[in-house]
Amino acid sequence: MIYKVSYVVRDGKMPGGIKNEKQRPEIGSIVEIGHTQFTVTHVHEVMPARDNFQYLHAMVEPVSQYASVN
Amino acid sequence: MMTTQNTFKQVDLFRGLDDTHLEEVQALATQQIFKSGNYIFEQGEIADKLYIIAEGQVEVRYRASNGDDVSVLFLGNGQVVGEMTLVDEGRRSATVIASTEDAVVYSIPNKTLGALCAENTAIGYVIMRNIAQDLSFKLRHRDFDTT
Repeated sequence: MIYKVSYVVRDGKMPGGIKNEKQRPEIGSIVEIGHTQFTVTHVHEVMPARDNFQYLHAMVEPVSQYASVN
Repeated sequence: MMTTQNTFKQVDLFRGLDDTHLEEVQALATQQIFKSGNYIFEQGEIADKLYIIAEGQVEVRYRASNGDDVSVLFLGNGQVVGEMTLVDEGRRSATVIASTEDAVVYSIPNKTLGALCAENTAIGYVIMRNIAQDLSFKLRHRDFDTT
């Protein structure tokens, strides 16, 4: 399965990204978007899976912010 | 580095094409490698190719009418950029810059891809359907990004 993931930064102050992942992102996963590392805080399916693609949306926060509240 | 065929099988734009059709599309593609900070294309340019990101990330930047240059999105492996022009033949709506060292990108000229889609409507249907779905996915991303 290929996971096509839309990553959106929670406070909207930094750009998000879209990329394929080999593994489904989970809450707490670390992802690099641009030159910044983010922690995944929420994941849900955007549209039904087709063939070997699954379409996900993930909310993320910069690693430092996530660490300070968890 | 992955082979072109493996790379293209992981691109949503080509999802649903069989191996024979995928080979026809691959024959139109040229591999390019961009260093970090290199421009792939600039907003306002005449658009003649679409690009498939095989490795690394690219940054999409939008220059507003007041001159502000804003980073709006990063696109990583398996994503397509510059595909709008295959549909509307318009100029580039944004600037795209390699944001990682040695971003590996495949370019496909619009004219030859459009001709292949017209000549082989089975390929054309799949690619046009997938472009529509990709644009829908990007719109949903933007909706999430602004709510």
